[in-house]
Amino acid sequence: MAREPLVAIADGDADTAQVAAFERDRRALLRRGLGLGGAVVAASSIPVLLAVRDAFAANDDDTTLLTKAIKLEHVSVLAYDTILGRGLLSARVEALTRTLRGHEQQHADTLTTALTDLGGTPPPAPAGVADVDAVVKGLGDIRTEADVLAFAIALETAAVAAYYDVQAKFIQSKLVQRGAAIMAAEGQHLVVLRQAARLAPVPAALETGGQ
Amino acid sequence: MVDLDIDGLSRRRLFGVAGAAVSSAALLAGCGDDTKNPQVKTAPDESDTADVELLNSVLDLEFSSIAAYKTGAGRLRGSRLRIAQGFLEQEQEHADTLTRAIRDLDGVPNTAKRRYEFPPLHSSAEVLRYAVSFENNIIAAYIDLLPKISQGEIRSTISAILTCEAEHVAVLAGALHEPQIPDAFVFGQAS
Repeated sequence: MAREPLVAIADGDADTAQVAAFERDRRALLRRGLGLGGAVVAASSIPVLLAVRDAFAANDDDTTLLTKAIKLEHVSVLAYDTILGRGLLSARVEALTRTLRGHEQQHADTLTTALTDLGGTPPPAPAGVADVDAVVKGLGDIRTEADVLAFAIALETAAVAAYYDVQAKFIQSKLVQRGAAIMAAEGQHLVVLRQAARLAPVPAALETGGQ
Repeated sequence: MVDLDIDGLSRRRLFGVAGAAVSSAALLAGCGDDTKNPQVKTAPDESDTADVELLNSVLDLEFSSIAAYKTGAGRLRGSRLRIAQGFLEQEQEHADTLTRAIRDLDGVPNTAKRRYEFPPLHSSAEVLRYAVSFENNIIAAYIDLLPKISQGEIRSTISAILTCEAEHVAVLAGALHEPQIPDAFVFGQAS
């Protein structure tokens, strides 16, 4: 009988429903012969996706949509900066994290240019971890590289979900195309993160951020 | 050139896997115009007709992609074959999703051609590089098509498909030991 990959849920403060959801996903992965690379993921650091799906109101105009998307990209940059400052990463994952951080900054810069071209005012940079927690909880609880990978996967999934949502609402053609190009890049980020976590790199034919 | 007789090949026989899952129904359930009563058949409006034409153009590309993975699989072994098997199933799911979207718009979906022609590929690396090229071509087509689609929900669905294609490119690049995430923006590349 094949040995089940070692994935443990350590005791922590996470909400029971959150743990149950994670456990459900994990068992689904294990049934497909996958796991988090034998890593122990602390329950307290299980990232929790918050309020990203449908973050954009149906009647938001392009300026409002861009402002919200920029905030999300700023949050990603801050999250990766925080992770890099913790000194938890192997050289390989640190290099990957720097690349991801650089891409998110480019997304923020491009969207900011688009916003100012429309006469909008760029939003202020996020103040701290609390702003990250508003998108994905768990950044402050990261203890290991496995925690980092799980958190980053949740963060990039949140980004994909947000762009999936906003693509239905952008009005300007250029923004629809730019949004798709960013969403596709976030999907590629997910591939390398999933591979680093020994998960299936492309688990679904439609990457909606809903997996 | 390599010809593939679609009717002469079975996905199941080629790969020994179950046929692709058709799971797009839920995703696309909301793609129709909310103002339309599904019980009352009316003539499709102008924007729906345009959307159908656009969706059929990328459906043709998905059919080509399915045929390309079937053909290329003959040159692959081991982990590279498993990648192609997985991607073939996902391309089939994309085709199923587009087909359903077209039908939801009261359109007539195109069907796969009987024969496709591909350049001769002599090694697994050549197959993977051709797949990268093919996937990038599809991404570029989707990026070009997106702003022309009138219905927001279909734009989201198309974006989810093209993101999956971008993920395929990243996996294929990794299998070729090439950079997997070279750019912050993925626009694909028309061939």
